[in-house]
Amino acid sequence: MTENRLETKNITIGYESDLIREISLSLTAGRIVTLIGPNGCGKTTLLKTVCGLLREREGVICLNGQDIHAMRSKEAARELSIVTTASVRPERMTCREIIETGRYPYTGVMGILDDTDKAAVIKAIEMTDTAEVADREFGMISDGQKQRVLLARAICQEPKVLILDEPTSYLDIRYKLDILNRIRKLAKEENMAVLLSLHELEIARELSDTVVAIGNGKIRKIGTPKEVFTESFIRELFGIKEKEADLLGQKPWMGTDPSAGVKDPVRKHGGSHTDSLLISEENMGAEQTSGVRVLMVQGTMSNAGKSLLSAGLCRIFTQDGYRVAPFKAQNMALNSYITADGLEMGRAQVVQAECCKREPQSCMNPVLLKPFSDRGSQVIVNGKVVGNMNAAEYFAYKKELIPEIKNAFDTLAQTSDLIVVEGAGSPVELNLLDNDIVNMGLAKLLNAKVILAGDIDRGGIFAQLIGTLDLFGEEDRDRVIGLIVNKFRGDQALFEKGRTILAEKSGKKVLGVVPYLDIHIDDEDSLTDQFHNRTVAPFDIAVIRLPHISNFTDFNVFSQLSGVSVRYVTSVETLEDPDIVIIPGSKNTIGDLQWLKGNGFVEAIRNLQKENRVIFGICGGYQMLGRKISDPFETEGPGKCEETGLALLPVDTVLEQEKTRTVFSGSIENASGVLSGLCGLNVEGYEIHMGKTTPYDGADPFTDHGTGYCSGNVYGTYIHGFFDRKEILTGFIRAVCAQRGKTIDTGSVQDMRDFKEQQYDLLASELRKHLDIGAIYDMLGIKRRASKISRFEEAVQSCDPDADQNAGNADQITGNAGEDIR
Amino acid sequence: MNKRRCLLTFICISVLLLVLMAWNTFMGSIGIPFERALSIVFGSVQDGTDYNIIINIRMPRVLSAVFLGGGLALSGYLLQTFFANPIVGPFVLGISSGAKLAVALSLIFLLERGIHLNAAGLVLSAFAGAMLAMAFVLAVSVKVKNMSILVICGIMTGYICSAITDLIVTFADDSNIVNLHNWSMGSLSGMDWQDVKIMAAIITVCLIVSVLMIKPVGAYRLGESYAKTMGVNITLLRVMLILLSSLLAACVTAFAGPVSFVGIAVPHLIGGLTKTSSPKIMIPGAFLGGAVITLFCDGIARTVFAPTEVSISSVTAVLLVPVVIVMMVKRRGANSN
Repeated sequence: MTENRLETKNITIGYESDLIREISLSLTAGRIVTLIGPNGCGKTTLLKTVCGLLREREGVICLNGQDIHAMRSKEAARELSIVTTASVRPERMTCREIIETGRYPYTGVMGILDDTDKAAVIKAIEMTDTAEVADREFGMISDGQKQRVLLARAICQEPKVLILDEPTSYLDIRYKLDILNRIRKLAKEENMAVLLSLHELEIARELSDTVVAIGNGKIRKIGTPKEVFTESFIRELFGIKEKEADLLGQKPWMGTDPSAGVKDPVRKHGGSHTDSLLISEENMGAEQTSGVRVLMVQGTMSNAGKSLLSAGLCRIFTQDGYRVAPFKAQNMALNSYITADGLEMGRAQVVQAECCKREPQSCMNPVLLKPFSDRGSQVIVNGKVVGNMNAAEYFAYKKELIPEIKNAFDTLAQTSDLIVVEGAGSPVELNLLDNDIVNMGLAKLLNAKVILAGDIDRGGIFAQLIGTLDLFGEEDRDRVIGLIVNKFRGDQALFEKGRTILAEKSGKKVLGVVPYLDIHIDDEDSLTDQFHNRTVAPFDIAVIRLPHISNFTDFNVFSQLSGVSVRYVTSVETLEDPDIVIIPGSKNTIGDLQWLKGNGFVEAIRNLQKENRVIFGICGGYQMLGRKISDPFETEGPGKCEETGLALLPVDTVLEQEKTRTVFSGSIENASGVLSGLCGLNVEGYEIHMGKTTPYDGADPFTDHGTGYCSGNVYGTYIHGFFDRKEILTGFIRAVCAQRGKTIDTGSVQDMRDFKEQQYDLLASELRKHLDIGAIYDMLGIKRRASKISRFEEAVQSCDPDADQNAGNADQITGNAGEDIR
Repeated sequence: MNKRRCLLTFICISVLLLVLMAWNTFMGSIGIPFERALSIVFGSVQDGTDYNIIINIRMPRVLSAVFLGGGLALSGYLLQTFFANPIVGPFVLGISSGAKLAVALSLIFLLERGIHLNAAGLVLSAFAGAMLAMAFVLAVSVKVKNMSILVICGIMTGYICSAITDLIVTFADDSNIVNLHNWSMGSLSGMDWQDVKIMAAIITVCLIVSVLMIKPVGAYRLGESYAKTMGVNITLLRVMLILLSSLLAACVTAFAGPVSFVGIAVPHLIGGLTKTSSPKIMIPGAFLGGAVITLFCDGIARTVFAPTEVSISSVTAVLLVPVVIVMMVKRRGANSN
């Protein structure tokens, strides 16, 4: 019974102007479709358009496959009937007369009813129980009875499609249920296709097969009630603020957020009058066992390996066939990434999203702090800059971010089976626990299970783990499902005793001891080990370690080359004799430029340039290579209006208030020096900067759209990820090698993308080896089918790179009732 | 809909109609003995002043009262249907006055050139005036959805048209004035058989077309949305309602001048008696009711101050305005419940 009764093909509706655009709906026999949305969003207009009362502005409406406007009005009337909100106030008209008008499309010129018509009228009266009022005047009966009569009239028309505009408004609860149960019966028993608008969300939830949410001039969402009725979406759709909802009490759409598992106390106990009466067997219980599972990885300290563990878990769950998403409420990082929508988010969640094989979205990291000095940070919410704040200001502001975080999470939850949440820093910074939105506060909000990881490399693993557990409150401690000892170097057999002690002292399961992994993936922030590399390889790249270095992941790509060292240089003394000098991006360009000058780097870099060495500036570094940087709007803080640069490139930069965030796709053109052989190669990356750089005459652009200029072997570009493509990287290294008379094997170089994929799989297989993944699934309440586990583990053993494709669909996630704290 | 009640009402109205027709035929400023009058009516006497009075003066007058009254009430009913508003009628909406103005203009314009306008020409010019006034009212009704404002606009239009008509009459030749003055006040005097034939033809056609519209008008009572989704051709229905009601009002005005309040009050009286709004009852009911009321009022206009004749509008106003007021008060009361 899936015949399409009524279809709107990409219609745009409205009176004088477009009210809702691009509506594509279809009504099928026996199904109930409900429109919800705030007052004035266009529900009634849509209904009027659909039943032909209003001409659509664009598109086509098909009734039984025919353009509704091409049909004769009587033919259309035999297919479709309506019940509107327009008050019907005929004078001196009995209910029976009203019902009889439904036979209009069937009677002759004088409208005389024959036996068939009379039978239809009687049937309609019976179906709506209106016999007792049939001979009373319509104006004299109650609103509820009127609605029944109007429904009877619509039924009497014997339509295949029934359209009702707010059929329950003004009715008391008894008539509401009465009318809606009749509508349901019409759909199920008479196989009518029903389209209606409703304001009562809880009723819409029970009644509908499909819910269409309208708001802001468009269809916001079409889906099953379960998909549409999440608290945050409804709040957003109707613009309900946190406190305003108090008046309603608990509503079924509240607390249906998937993070809460599947529980809905109101429905379970039949607490709502409406619900308990409306719910029939088919709606009860059947679909109650799904919902998103949330696993949170917390660390005992910064850099305990949370990001990497989360990324690995993301990949593992993804390999096992679940829809996984990463989430971190708040990131403090210098590195950020630009999503396809032009929004900014932390790199760590980008890596994790890549592990989940999905497009990074800013909702995976709703709050991003980019420190620009010891005290201040740029605050980015949902991918957009909100402003600069110092710690105290941010602390005060943080509370307001809770709904944003919740919304972001709910958005993710709609498309995920499992969400891996990353904590931040230590979860027991006792002076900062008020309004915690990153660790246990968030875990509580999302009802997450927590894994606690400690960093054994830095020592004191028992104090870290057990001390942290001790400092948790009882409720928080209960959230912890297991411990991980991370960054273990050497022979794990030596730690067996330690494992036992940990388990005994903590009362928690030790999920595993993870070795110090040599995995090359993007790092979260400046606190990363690669900064400490001092070894000079035959081919040496020196990256100037600016105090406010940012987006340094650009250089991870070099790590796949053997014989190439990437050193982060903090002083002229350690600059040595590099083949390539890179000045990276900065969060505080003028400050770091002053630092360069103060530490003698300017001279050193100029000397290298005289030797025709390759000098590469990216973003902030590019700006520093120019003649001067001015900051008329004091975006980087007061007092530093203008600073002369290294003057190696004939460009000037003005820092602007507006941030440029775009994804770049272009090619190298007209490059001078060693890069001249790379002309024509495609470049893909992204830009993210506040400055606008203008060239003097004679400057040679070497990437499109003025994103980069060069002069001899000095290059400057705004494009992050410049070296990510295999051709660029190998071409670049080979060209420099040729210039310097060195040889480096570039045969193993991969596109960054392939390289990363390989690294992620490597990470996942390492974690599978050392962690009890089965226990994690158990504690999340996920029961996996044995066959699938073994199949996948075989695949892992044989290191089959396509293993994840064999894993198939998600396993059944079973219910876990009774644990809901909400 | 109570069928017995409707039937009873129809019987009463029909009887009343016959009685009033007889009364209007036999009564008048010239006293004619009953037996003689009866023999004149039944054709046994064929000459004399009495014969002339009854056959060529009173009988055309009675018949025109029947047709014009019926047409006027029907016009009122159609307008009320169109606007879904019981307090409109051709007079209240200024349609009658528009027709009156057009007739006055064309009469004087043509008389000055020595052309005597025949009945059909009168109807035509009245129809043009009625349509103009209707167009104005429709324009207003599109702009303002408020029915009271619509009615006020109609009344204003009526006043403007009447004022202009008065102006024309003031400056018209003396010879035209007497005739025109009488007419512009509303009068059924001076009808001849030729007039009756023309009005009977027009109004009968309108009545038949109205009867054919019973089905869509019945559905239209539920409002445009419902009617349209039931398959009513709304545009056609609306155009027909406008054309018919204007033609009926124009016809009445062309022959009798503006006759007030019959159009608005009669449908209501009939509805009140039959307790239904079904067009099956209302269309014939309003027609007969209009005929009865107009006959009655004309009789009074002729006889109460005989030999002086009062304008028929004075009588209809005095008799029917209270009906309209009572109706409005009742409605107000009903709505607030």
